[in-house]
Amino acid sequence: MAAEPEILDELRRLRARLPQLTGAVAAGRDGLVLAQDAPGVEPDGLSALTATTLAVAIRMTEATGRGEFRELLIRGADGYVATYAAGRHAVLTLLTQDRVNVGRLHLEGRRAGARIGELVDAHEDAHGRTAHGKAAPDGTDREPAAREAAAHDTAARDTARPAAPPNPNQSHHQTQTQDPSRPLPTRPVGARTGTDN
Amino acid sequence: MANTETALKEALASIEGATGAALVDYTSGMALGTIGGGKSFDLNVAAAGNTDVIRAKMRTMEHLGLKAEIEDILITLTDQYHLIRLLSGRSGNGLFLYLVLDAKRANLAMARHQLKRIEQDLEV
Repeated sequence: MAAEPEILDELRRLRARLPQLTGAVAAGRDGLVLAQDAPGVEPDGLSALTATTLAVAIRMTEATGRGEFRELLIRGADGYVATYAAGRHAVLTLLTQDRVNVGRLHLEGRRAGARIGELVDAHEDAHGRTAHGKAAPDGTDREPAAREAAAHDTAARDTARPAAPPNPNQSHHQTQTQDPSRPLPTRPVGARTGTDN
Repeated sequence: MANTETALKEALASIEGATGAALVDYTSGMALGTIGGGKSFDLNVAAAGNTDVIRAKMRTMEHLGLKAEIEDILITLTDQYHLIRLLSGRSGNGLFLYLVLDAKRANLAMARHQLKRIEQDLEV
């Protein structure tokens, strides 16, 4: 992807501004890595997991009437995983130590997400992705995007699985999320299009 | 005893020259409450940035082997004073009050005294 060096610059800048950042991955909403600066992390596995989580998060914000997906924050005992929307096609996932300044993490994450979003959206608008179909045409709101994300997400999971079998943790998470995520998209999304129009 | 909102309102109303105030959690860098500031002065940015100020000072004191606690921090700009006051007491642990003052209008000694009183009165 042509915008990749610029995205990578953005990720490196983030690392300089946030010392407690241990990894940054920019990925398409379909789970494909666009650029990464995450030593010691398997970026393909991470972005595939991000796509899975994202699909659930998008449905969650829609089901509860919170509008378009903006960000997602997960805290473990040893640190945070934060995912920020980056335009219409991408997301930015950041891994940090536990003692990070979350206020600053949000400020930097949102800013970087917006910039990466501009880069990716400009690229996508210029070249499009015929293989992936049109992503979320303007005017129609998030529904197609969500459905598509869910579809891509299952595709991403299937392709990600053979790539990441050595990590039992990861495949465990993937199979876990598969069950609740499968039946959901058809119902709330379908029901909503009916009432919206 | 005053809650966060009342305390911040009081800080802005009763302290001469105050233009903004925030109650911030410096374990996370996020503001529990903000007042004033306006479009040109984002108090959430200030909350995150001044969290780093406090953390740096605490680290330095640790390296110096100082056992004392920080009471307050004063930052003097050409046209503003920034006052940081750490909350004492169990309920305020890990929190600080942040006050922005217009240097031309503010009485620093009075502002510091009033902020101390507001802090002691604050129940989070």
